[in-house]
Amino acid sequence: MNMHDTEDMPPDVDYDEDEPSFSDPEDFVDDIDDEELLGDLLREKPQEADGIDSVIVVDNVPQVGPERLEKLKNVIHKIFSKFGKITNEFYPEGPDGSTKGYIFLEYGAPTQALDAVKNADGYKLDKQHTFRVNVFTDFDKYMNICDEWETPEKQPFKDFGNMRHWMEDPDCRDQYSVIYESGERTAIFNNDPKDPIVAEERARWTETYVRWSPKGTYLATFHQRGIALWGGEKFKQIQRFSHQGVSLIDFSPCERYVVTFSPLMDTKEDPQAIIIWDILTGQKKRGFHCESSAHWPIFKWSHDGKFFARMTQDTLSIYETPSMGLLDKKSLKISGIKDFSWSPGDNIIAFWVPEDKDIPARVTLMQLPSRQEIRVRNLFNVVDCKLHWQRQGDYLCVKVDRTPKGTQGVVTNFEIFRMREKQVPVDVVEMKGDPESKNAESIIAFAWEPNGSKFAVLHGESPRINASFYHVKNNGKIELIKMFDKQQANSIFWSPQGQFMVLAGLRSMNGALAFVDTSDCTMMNIAEHYMASDVEWDPTGRYVVTSVSWWSHKVDNAYWLWTFQGRLLQKNNKDRFCQLLWRPRPPTLLPLDAIKAIKKDLKKYSKIFEQKDRLSQSKASKELVDKRRSMMEDYRRYREAALLQHQEQKAARLELRGGVDTDELDSNIDDWEEETIEFFINEEIIPLGE
Amino acid sequence: MKPILLQGHERSITQIKYNREGDLLFTVAKDTVANVWYSVNGERLGTYNGHTGAVWCVDCDCILNPRKTLEPCRPWLCKQLAMLNTSSAVRTCGFDFSGNIIMFSTDKQMGYQCYLNYFDLRDPQQIEDNQPYLTVPCAESKITSAVWGPLGEFVIAGHENGEINQFSAKSGEILKKVKEHSKQINDIQTSVDLTMVITASKDCSSKLFDSTTLDHIKTFKTERPVNSAAISPIMDHVVMGGGQEAMEVTTTSTRIGKFEARFFHAAYEEEFGRVKGHFGPINCVAFHPDGKSYSSGGEDGYTRIHYFDPQYFDFELEA
Repeated sequence: MNMHDTEDMPPDVDYDEDEPSFSDPEDFVDDIDDEELLGDLLREKPQEADGIDSVIVVDNVPQVGPERLEKLKNVIHKIFSKFGKITNEFYPEGPDGSTKGYIFLEYGAPTQALDAVKNADGYKLDKQHTFRVNVFTDFDKYMNICDEWETPEKQPFKDFGNMRHWMEDPDCRDQYSVIYESGERTAIFNNDPKDPIVAEERARWTETYVRWSPKGTYLATFHQRGIALWGGEKFKQIQRFSHQGVSLIDFSPCERYVVTFSPLMDTKEDPQAIIIWDILTGQKKRGFHCESSAHWPIFKWSHDGKFFARMTQDTLSIYETPSMGLLDKKSLKISGIKDFSWSPGDNIIAFWVPEDKDIPARVTLMQLPSRQEIRVRNLFNVVDCKLHWQRQGDYLCVKVDRTPKGTQGVVTNFEIFRMREKQVPVDVVEMKGDPESKNAESIIAFAWEPNGSKFAVLHGESPRINASFYHVKNNGKIELIKMFDKQQANSIFWSPQGQFMVLAGLRSMNGALAFVDTSDCTMMNIAEHYMASDVEWDPTGRYVVTSVSWWSHKVDNAYWLWTFQGRLLQKNNKDRFCQLLWRPRPPTLLPLDAIKAIKKDLKKYSKIFEQKDRLSQSKASKELVDKRRSMMEDYRRYREAALLQHQEQKAARLELRGGVDTDELDSNIDDWEEETIEFFINEEIIPLGE
Repeated sequence: MKPILLQGHERSITQIKYNREGDLLFTVAKDTVANVWYSVNGERLGTYNGHTGAVWCVDCDCILNPRKTLEPCRPWLCKQLAMLNTSSAVRTCGFDFSGNIIMFSTDKQMGYQCYLNYFDLRDPQQIEDNQPYLTVPCAESKITSAVWGPLGEFVIAGHENGEINQFSAKSGEILKKVKEHSKQINDIQTSVDLTMVITASKDCSSKLFDSTTLDHIKTFKTERPVNSAAISPIMDHVVMGGGQEAMEVTTTSTRIGKFEARFFHAAYEEEFGRVKGHFGPINCVAFHPDGKSYSSGGEDGYTRIHYFDPQYFDFELEA
């Protein structure tokens, strides 16, 4: 109940003194709330600060004389009316009559002003003039900055020690994380071919699962309140990111940023579903909305971490780091875009759009940040496409499912883009199916060889699944090297160094494993890990782990260690084993020629290693033998004592059995009865003569 | 070694026992029938009928003749000697060293508690009145398996919660108790000289104890629940049989005969051999008293008698 507001209103000048006064007496105070009377109007009540909030200042405006002022105003109007109705403008003039070079514009609402700032700031009018746009109130803010400079408090340097400590293991053992006891315990092991060596083991380290960062520096654990990063020799906590209900994370390849997703926190004003964090400072860099996490990661990073992009309806938004702003301040409108992915070797994005009326479907390769389309490939009668990059970005394979005109079935082609050759030539590999059936081969899996130019395809229908190996040659041909038929496989796992691979039939195929050397396409070994659910290569390509996770199968949870040739080294049973992840290695620091030199001198180095191995083997067997010897001695001692006691009780035993000695089976030969029993053993029919 | 296959039961075998000399093998199963076989060739000697429910356990006393066998509440003397009715199922039974005292334990079922009962066979009055001379209640955890101690002074019982207790046969009080297992004890068997007992537990391990002191001597670990274990009379070996719960059987490899009996070295606690052949989890294993053969009874209803090859006796782990 307040009438204060009306006090300041100017008196009504049009008021006619002759008419009777209808106004309330001087001291009348009514009892109706303003809010009740004019609530809706009040909401639109002009605020004191309103006027200023809608004003923007534009700098670097050309300084013109009065004769060209009109033209300038028209140009400004054209540019800035886009953001809203300009209600007021002011072009300050200097002493010589020409504009000073900065202008003030007022909009109808503060949102329009903000819009103008966002979009017009940085607008290039011409070569010499790039607009700088700011909200007027910002000037106020900057003017009012405290004159006294307070040095920000220096945060003590947290020394986490050598973050690459695990790489310095003298025996070059790689590490891997193991989650077991259905998530209660997480352990880090050093991989030794004899037996895994525990590096660290903690209870309830994570609430769901763990992830390593791409270069292996950090271990991320999940908690209700957010993510924690651990590292260094003792796995101390390096950083913590608070994101309530986080369920998914992704690292940038350079390990500078981590992206977290939580389905819980998201409001219209403050997008919190996806947050990008700076790992070293722990700061929240930017938040984004996210409707669904169906295809995680939503944001895909370029290989050097300079850009990240996401696809929404008809739009591809590319952001740059470290500003976290849109590249060129706007998203790309690509109508119908279905999928995109970054080259793992260069800042190139490949994306595809389906057919649109009479425009055929096409795959486009776009260079960033220039946005130049370096290659476009038209495809006809496309049903679906899948993009597969080779690990170094040397090749792109687009798996195209098409329905050729006049047929009902679906045919699959592989379009191979040779990225390293001029103008990116494309070769096509057709997957011809069974000539009997109308349908073409269904493709079960596809994988490029890392570090190489081969790829493997699993195709066919169970039980006639075939594994085909192709080589992309330099002369423009793609050759089918070998096809293995009737394989029990549904997944392909290449060694990270290339050449070797495992064909696995996981889950429903009961864990069939085939170890293949693709240099001559021979099967090195065929084995089985019953009900295996996962296959993981170590980062060096020396070892393979197959595991049965408790998350997919409730019994026999274990992980087995094999050599790359398929020789089984260890079987490690772990109560309710869930997940094993190898710790990635950072890229090698050696230059290519140093690596070549080492490969040349390999014989020299291998001699030293073999000697070391032999020593440790004999040490191991010696240890084992010693252990067994001491165990046997203990056991013998115990047995002797027990037997002694047994002897002492003999009298008691004789009594219990009425004087009959039953200690040995032959203690009572006299009492034995001899019985002859005939057994039927064999029947033989012998024909007699003639 | 080629095993002898005994087919005489229609349902899963619950226990098998050799007599003292080893020439007879008794097998009992859930099909209410108890069979006795010649262990030398697998020929069936006879069948004991008369039980109305699953037969859980059997024991045979050691007096050379006449032979008595004991199954849940029916001590037979080649023909039935006596029948003792109980209010709930009898889970385990046994003759003491002298063959005069019987003990058996009843299940915790249908409102009835678990009891350990002692009957003296020399007192016909006890049998007639169905009155044991001593009854010990087990309130906390029911007894799942039990054997007599060396001189008939106490009974060593394994419980559902993994505990092992020594119950005096005279007073019924608990003389010693240990808890080394984390889950139910499925079977306890003694060594032939009764100085040691071996326990088989659902916690996937088997342990060797001294019978008198209940000191834990050795542990044998596997990845599957162990249903039964036995100690070799002549070698430093133990054999274990197991598998999963009957319910989960279909989730293991369906390859024929994957359920194995596993042999461990008693001193080194290391597995050195496996014998395949059963189509279902193995429920009971037993060594022949002369140690030259062993038998196993499985969920599949078959009992297999295995005679060891000569290599078995020569085998030695490097030490």
